[in-house]
Amino acid sequence: MDLKQFEADNSGSCRLASRIPDACRTEDCCLGVDEAGRGPVLGPMVYGICFCPVSKKEELKDLKVADSKTLNEAERENLFQKLDEAQNYVGWALQILSPNMISTSMLQRTKYNLNALSHDTAISLIQYALDSGVQLKEVYVDTVGPADKYEQKLSQRFPGIQVTVRPKADSLFPVVSAASICAKVARDRVVKGWNFAEDLGEIDTDYGSGYPNDPKTKEWLLKYLDPVFGYPQFVRFSWSTAQTLMDSKAAPVHWDDDEEDGEKAAQRQNNRSMLSYFSTSAEADRAQQTHRFFSERRLKSLKSL
Amino acid sequence: MAAKKKRTPNTHNDSWVVIAADSVVETQKQDCDADFVKLRNPATDEASLYMLGAGDAQLYEVKAFEEDFHSWFVGQTVQRDGKLLFITQMDPLYLILPYMIKCGQEEKFQPVNQVVKDDEFPESSRLLSCTRSLTSLHHIAEEKEVGSLKFHRYSPERTMNWLQKKVERTIVALKKKNICVGEGVKSTTYIRVKSESDNQEEDYLRYAHGLISEYISGELSKALLKHLRLPELKSAKETEPPSKKRKLSDKPVEAGEDYTKFNSGDFARKPPKKMTAAQKTLAKVDKSGMKPMSSFFSPKTKAE
Repeated sequence: MDLKQFEADNSGSCRLASRIPDACRTEDCCLGVDEAGRGPVLGPMVYGICFCPVSKKEELKDLKVADSKTLNEAERENLFQKLDEAQNYVGWALQILSPNMISTSMLQRTKYNLNALSHDTAISLIQYALDSGVQLKEVYVDTVGPADKYEQKLSQRFPGIQVTVRPKADSLFPVVSAASICAKVARDRVVKGWNFAEDLGEIDTDYGSGYPNDPKTKEWLLKYLDPVFGYPQFVRFSWSTAQTLMDSKAAPVHWDDDEEDGEKAAQRQNNRSMLSYFSTSAEADRAQQTHRFFSERRLKSLKSL
Repeated sequence: MAAKKKRTPNTHNDSWVVIAADSVVETQKQDCDADFVKLRNPATDEASLYMLGAGDAQLYEVKAFEEDFHSWFVGQTVQRDGKLLFITQMDPLYLILPYMIKCGQEEKFQPVNQVVKDDEFPESSRLLSCTRSLTSLHHIAEEKEVGSLKFHRYSPERTMNWLQKKVERTIVALKKKNICVGEGVKSTTYIRVKSESDNQEEDYLRYAHGLISEYISGELSKALLKHLRLPELKSAKETEPPSKKRKLSDKPVEAGEDYTKFNSGDFARKPPKKMTAAQKTLAKVDKSGMKPMSSFFSPKTKAE
């Protein structure tokens, strides 16, 4: 697994893939989809697919791939090694979504939530396998959100492929377990060797698991909170853990799509009272006082500096 | 997720982001820098910020671009105030004019340094040091020279001619810069492909008049409008439709078009109601010599 491409620019999204085994181009294949790093406030989310000919399902089982959560890091690395060595019949591909990309997607003007982002990433990876000539017949997916809706969406998107979406699919289908191992290994490696784009000097890399409820992670978040900029790009700004800390400790920042309500906001936005439309008002005349050359250009005279 | 954030009022800044004419910073004399001063705004009669160039040679007006949700990153600091100041050259005559008019009511020739005096804005006397001030006073006032002393008296005619020239020059500038002046165009970013010829001259004239009016009093603006032979625009009050009020009258309310009135024929065609047995027997009774029931209720005029 060569992470150089992602490490060169860890602010976006990056795809890594193995060579496509020849057997996968000629035989009917099954494919598993799983993700790693959905919950943590730190680091990227990694989507992985693994595929092999349907006839080799048993051989995959013999590799003893199991749900990645039941394995420790060394065992996972070991298994990934085995998977990578079985490249005459197993192929994999990964999509690394950087924390920055997750933040900007979820916090942009038209919100793009994590479920939609997950679904689209899964779809793009399946499409990648199809485009590479893999003869897909069966797809197994660990669910995100309601399973039957997701299954319906994927079946519509990929007609002719039998799609199975199940919660805990990573412990039910070996091919999903394999995908989950690839994703988890990639995430571990990326987090461990994270290249901070920011100039933070000697950085304390002891940030724990990265999950919001880990006290080490919380401590790290408090330590690296900048009052103006908030956090390094390593942190998902869209997580409420990060937002709550920024709201209480950092300088307030106002965006023009912030939701504001109440009389004060209306006054600040120069909204007119509904009542003013029902009476002929001297107020309207006064508002027209500055010539539109200036008002259109938001230019004002100043009383003082 | 959207947490409520408190907006605190902008605190005092000691730095600004400014776009200024080169002449502001070109200092011939090292000892005196350009200076922000508060002077009486001729249009609002209130304090406004201006700038006097080095040695008070030039007057500049200060305008601020200000919109919500803007901040500056300046070097390694953040400036909360996202204002952008523009310092642009201005004719000092606009600021001198109100003082001239005020003294003009006395209809006397006066030395100009007595005219431009303001207890509220003591800096206004510095206006007269501007290179253009004294040489251009004749645009708004009549001059008289006694010995080495000069005296001035406000002249409405000269002022109107001067302002008209300003308007004409503004029109030239507006055309050069392709500024949309039509009433229908409300957005500065909206570009018309087709240039409409009808009424355009009047649009330009009115727009330029509006711009110049930003620098003169309301009264003067009206006078200038007359001088330019532009009809006064109707105020919003007059163009609004009259408010609707329900008409009050003593007559009973009736529908304006009541079609049921013409359906009366239908009623006549209805078959007579069937009578009960008791009614039938009553109908057969010999009624000769009997007074109708109604006669008992009529007024008693017939009673003799």
